[in-house]
Amino acid sequence: MILLASRNPILRWSWIPEQWDSRIQPALLEHIQLTLLAVGIGFLLSAVLATVALRYRWTVGPITLFAAFLYTIPSVAFFGVLRTTALGLSIFTVLIPLTGFTILILVTNILDGFRSVPAPVREAADAMGLSPARRVLTVEVPVAIPYMINGLRIATVTTVGLVTVAAIVGQGGLGALILDGLRRTFWTPLTIGSVLAIVLALTFDLLFVLLRNWLTPWSRAQRS
Amino acid sequence: MTAILAQRAVPRDTTLWEWFSDPMTWGGSDGILANLGDTVLLCAAVTLFAILVAVPPAAFLAHKGWGEVTSAWVVNIGRALPTFAVAAFLVPVSLRAGYGAEPWPIFIALVLLTIPPMYLSTYVAISQVDKAAVNAARAMGFSERAVLTTVELPLASTVIFTGLRVAAVQVVATEPIRAFLGGDGLGRYVRDGIGQNNATLTIGGTILIAALAGTTGLAFSAIERLVKPYGVRRLRSDRSPRTGDTDEQVGPLEDGEPAGSDAAGVGGLRQR
Repeated sequence: MILLASRNPILRWSWIPEQWDSRIQPALLEHIQLTLLAVGIGFLLSAVLATVALRYRWTVGPITLFAAFLYTIPSVAFFGVLRTTALGLSIFTVLIPLTGFTILILVTNILDGFRSVPAPVREAADAMGLSPARRVLTVEVPVAIPYMINGLRIATVTTVGLVTVAAIVGQGGLGALILDGLRRTFWTPLTIGSVLAIVLALTFDLLFVLLRNWLTPWSRAQRS
Repeated sequence: MTAILAQRAVPRDTTLWEWFSDPMTWGGSDGILANLGDTVLLCAAVTLFAILVAVPPAAFLAHKGWGEVTSAWVVNIGRALPTFAVAAFLVPVSLRAGYGAEPWPIFIALVLLTIPPMYLSTYVAISQVDKAAVNAARAMGFSERAVLTTVELPLASTVIFTGLRVAAVQVVATEPIRAFLGGDGLGRYVRDGIGQNNATLTIGGTILIAALAGTTGLAFSAIERLVKPYGVRRLRSDRSPRTGDTDEQVGPLEDGEPAGSDAAGVGGLRQR
């Protein structure tokens, strides 16, 4: 089962150009696609939940509890259990847990963002005659943006990691390469899958830092 | 990896009740008790090791007010590392180095998962201690060491314990990926259930993992109650540490951006 080290190196370079088109690139794209889908849907749901929570104060507790409950479900178990349901091997088996795990992070950050708007700022906006909708869009949202981006950043890097685990139910982008490598005791796909997943997570992390600096130039001015 | 082959097959029509009530399920070298022992041992080792590595330096640096930017960088990068990918990457490395496929890769990956939230919550907790109390202690002639150990740490203990508890539950919830890297532990039932298309095994394993995660949370709350100094327990702000309250505390880390909820509470952890 265990090949000689010379025949099974940790990374066989020639495998990359051979398999790029057929395996590596599709896996990478699927990984990015699943991540963005999960975070995108999660953000929409979280925005709705946060709006409800801000409008009706008493719902904050139940919403946070529900999100925290979703978040603490062990990932392996969540994927595994949905696999046994009618969802089977469909994309929802993967997408539902991935989306569910992002909600706690996103909802708490969106709420923190809107709570960080100082009351005098809100009152000044009202006094200047802004309608509530305009006040939210032109005053409150910009103040809350750094929090939202921070939430998206954590949710995205978390999801990149979780997509690799989703490979255990048959669709995990780069995770599929990792499992393939483990099954065949052939280290090259495993190394490529895991290194690309790590690089992808760090890239997303960096992109969000750049996005935040670009969207909120005032926060940089304040810092220095 | 041979353990996968040695697994006793469970007929697909076994109900959950039959599976759980069968003594064969529990005993033996591949029974629930043995796997539970494996999982608990690994999780305890990871948690203890991470506490030792993360908490003292975080407390010291926060006391001194040093390393804020560096800490933020380290925490952010640590948080971005995908646990399963890191563990998988380490499998051939560990084999090549002669340490075997198990359990070092998963141990290291879980430690890397656990250190950032522990470090972050400790750093934030110490930084947020009321400066008046700290200065009062200094004025009374406390040494810096005594300020940290007898004033700052007790006052910060609620937030620190919340961070440790959340991180420990995280470890238990993530440890099952070990089964997919060729190890054992409670994750094996989910793995075998998926592999054999046996819903009973998958759901049974899920119940076991969830129960252990819940127990871990309760155990940490119990330890917190035992360990925390009497005086701190009497503080009013300490009485109802609901998540909502700790969430409000904005941390000094995160390079100037609002840390928000992920500083002290839930979001600071990264999963799996």
